[in-house]
Amino acid sequence: MTSAAGLEDVWRECAPHVLGALVRRYGDFDRAEDAVQDALLAAANQWPVDGVPDSPRGWLITVASRRLIDQWRADASRAERERRVLTAVPDDTFATPAADVASASDRDDSLALLVLCCHPTLTRPSQIALTLRAVAGLTTGQIARSFLIPEATMAQRISRAKARLRDDGARFAVPSTAELPERVAAVSQVLSLIFTEGHTSTVGGELMEVSLADEAIRLTRQLYRTLPSNDEVGGLLALMLVTHARRAARCTVDGSLIPLADQDRSLWDAVMIAEGVRIVEAVLPTGQVGSFQLQAAIAAVHAEAPTAEATDWVQIESLYRMLDGVAPGPVVTLNHAVAAAMAYGPESGLAMVEPLLDDPQLRRHHRLYAVHAHVLELAGRSDEARDAYTTAARLATSIPEQRHLNECAARLKPPRPASHRNAGPADPDDGREAVPPDNGLPCRLPECLAKETVAMIE
Amino acid sequence: MKYVILIYSNPNPWGHPTQKLTPEGRALSAEQTDAMDREFDSLMREISDSGEFVTAEALGDPTTSTLYTWGPDGHVATDGPYAETKEQVAGFFIIDTETRERADEIAAHFAQPGGTVELRPVMWPGGDDQ
Repeated sequence: MTSAAGLEDVWRECAPHVLGALVRRYGDFDRAEDAVQDALLAAANQWPVDGVPDSPRGWLITVASRRLIDQWRADASRAERERRVLTAVPDDTFATPAADVASASDRDDSLALLVLCCHPTLTRPSQIALTLRAVAGLTTGQIARSFLIPEATMAQRISRAKARLRDDGARFAVPSTAELPERVAAVSQVLSLIFTEGHTSTVGGELMEVSLADEAIRLTRQLYRTLPSNDEVGGLLALMLVTHARRAARCTVDGSLIPLADQDRSLWDAVMIAEGVRIVEAVLPTGQVGSFQLQAAIAAVHAEAPTAEATDWVQIESLYRMLDGVAPGPVVTLNHAVAAAMAYGPESGLAMVEPLLDDPQLRRHHRLYAVHAHVLELAGRSDEARDAYTTAARLATSIPEQRHLNECAARLKPPRPASHRNAGPADPDDGREAVPPDNGLPCRLPECLAKETVAMIE
Repeated sequence: MKYVILIYSNPNPWGHPTQKLTPEGRALSAEQTDAMDREFDSLMREISDSGEFVTAEALGDPTTSTLYTWGPDGHVATDGPYAETKEQVAGFFIIDTETRERADEIAAHFAQPGGTVELRPVMWPGGDDQ
């Protein structure tokens, strides 16, 4: 007997093909999407009891078509559609395609759906929501809970997005060759944001109902299969795989983050890393190098180091220099500064960070101060490093990151006797946790493929 | 990134929308009030369409609250309000924006006669494995 989760995999896998078939047949994306959701719910209720039908996809298409037709019939004001419906009942060959074999038209349907859901008329949050629902087959409730927002808000976001597509006349079709690169780039950004949301939100091993990271990898894999010559899609898939490979090592059971450099590398998923590295090695030498490929290459260099100390920072630094050429931005510069400090000494890192301290875009960004603190600490300037860690902690909005930054600041507390300090009440804690500034490694620094990097490159 | 917009006001009598129940709000002309209402409606439509609006609630009269403090023999309950300040928390909005600058831009529109609006980041439990 297949488990409920196994069944869910089956119907979710079918979802984009079922929706594609309906939209191709009836042309009404908005209602077809609702009908597919109804059919998925029906599958959730019936399959665990009655077993999986012989052709799951055919079953879903039949049920969804009936729902769509019922919806049309219920809408008395649409007399013209009513007439069309009478002649549009699916025949058997349509409802029961050969047992779930992905045909060329299936792949086209999936691609057409993805580019439709990531249509430029929609805002980023709407693109993300619609992709997760229409392509990944998640329920509105699952999406809402993944993003920690109320289900009603998510339901409204999805229905407004569909209305927007309808009003703007967005078409369900594979884009022309001229349009394709831009549309695929938008899809890639959406998949990347879904991945980052999933990857960064799982701290402390809490059980998530669905893994957005797994969903993003599944959809990106599917996209790469459809467009094997798109190196940036390959780069994105590699980046996701190599990053996701660390999931078992990235936090303690109590929800504290373990910095990349301190992770138990034996917990990294070697198979996933190998697959990611294989892809990045295949795409990097060909065509034009893009941001995802470079980020994947950087992640791969980290992943291949047997220990943190063995990290090839010189290579990482040169990859960041290339990334800065392809997708310049203050956050890339910050990450580049870390690599430069590690490769060529703290002074070269400081020279890159310090000009950013005046950047209004970064003024309230904790990462600027976290990087500054790290490089100052490498340079042995403990007091300044402590102040920068304190500022970074104040600005952080992630609870575990804030905890980590506060720990970094506390570690740098000055030793007790301070003859120059003659004003103000004595701090009873002062010096208790003092660590000599030159003893031990600086606080580990953000591995650089952070959420912000992706967001700001965009 | 999520932000909370806290609305502080002291409507008399307590009610919503608060700005219409403060002396400063009552002093406005009907045209001014209408214009503000229209501007607010269009802001709400904009942030709902963009997916930036998350949720919002209007709160009851602060004198109907109950305060619980911790004591050695268990909790102690007393009647509210929590603070005898001029302005009370009257409600909140949660928004989810790409940048702090965008959050600032939205929050500024919530400024209202006879009240104060506070924008603060919302912490989240996730994080990057730095």
